[in-house]
Amino acid sequence: MAIVLLATLSSCSTPRQLNLPFNPSDTSLNTPYSETEPYFTSGRYLTFVSDRSGTPDIYLYDVQERRLVELPRLNSVDSVATHPRISDDGRYLVFAGNRQGKTDVYLYDRQMRVLKNLTQSLNADVRYPSISADGNTIAFESNAQGKWDIFLYDRSGQPLELPESSSKSAS
Amino acid sequence: MATPSTTTPVILTISPTFRHSVTDPTTAMNVWHRLLRRIGYLVGIISLMVSLTACDPSSSSLTASPLNSAYTDEQPAISGSGRYVSFVSNREGRRQLLLYDLQEQALVNLPRLNRRSTIAESPSISNNARYIVYVTSDRGRPEIELYDRITQVPRVLTTGFRGWVRNPTISPDGRYVAFESDQRGQWDIQIFDRGANVELDLLENQPLVDNQT
Repeated sequence: MAIVLLATLSSCSTPRQLNLPFNPSDTSLNTPYSETEPYFTSGRYLTFVSDRSGTPDIYLYDVQERRLVELPRLNSVDSVATHPRISDDGRYLVFAGNRQGKTDVYLYDRQMRVLKNLTQSLNADVRYPSISADGNTIAFESNAQGKWDIFLYDRSGQPLELPESSSKSAS
Repeated sequence: MATPSTTTPVILTISPTFRHSVTDPTTAMNVWHRLLRRIGYLVGIISLMVSLTACDPSSSSLTASPLNSAYTDEQPAISGSGRYVSFVSNREGRRQLLLYDLQEQALVNLPRLNRRSTIAESPSISNNARYIVYVTSDRGRPEIELYDRITQVPRVLTTGFRGWVRNPTISPDGRYVAFESDQRGQWDIQIFDRGANVELDLLENQPLVDNQT
């Protein structure tokens, strides 16, 4: 009870804000354009979406070194990228990418510089991908069953068996 | 129950053996003292148990359930460990933020997180889902809240923060909360640092123990 009371009382304070760069440069974290959907690993990698190049693209910022990290072959002019998440070591990056009207979950391997469509065989809309710290499990939602449901895939794009008592399966 | 005419009704109901000693006033006083002491011990033990229950993560229980329901289940966020998924669901006739334990195949109870007066959206969880951040709007504007499964208390992080906020995410270790704010008249990224003294939710930490019901 005492802990509950203390936790309630401590709710009055606002946490300290990190001093993040803001300037018109393309290499800044925040710019006069929109920077949205941030995800920060434990102290180093910050991935987010920005439309500074004209269309929403994925960016990666190294907060320790205070610089943007190159992501070769990840963004393309004919796609819109949203909701990036990254594994804790900064190697695997997932996001929802829309190309030619179809949205899929993409996995980008920074080490191999390879982009893979994990949901190519899933004929449905997908949203909100996220990835475990080791990069082995990807969760997202899809309307493949006619409503929004949660799906789990492994890194190779294989559906994982879901705890189900009744009807639906990810496969 | 003892009759109203009995001088020591409580003693008589607790232990029939005391009935033989109430005729001696001195003995009766001793019995009273012993009884009061026992009641004191009992109250102390009960208070201690209540306090421990409030702090003990094992008091949060699991409810066996499928991950997906017949209703909308959306905005999933998987924990760093890969064991937990937080999401927003329309099951059971209301919109709730839920936490699912994939290993136990059960929902983890989150006391005091979902409230009738607001909807919790955009969840994000730390490595072992000790910390959950999300957006609520109790007072008519979005606020970022942090829920700790140890204390089972939601805490507003954006009290006094100027501007609109949305899309919060917590770092896997639970120390940082990144979010969008419109303080400059456009969406920019901000990060709260909860401080070096915060209890981190590290992958090597033991997951919180939950009881299945």
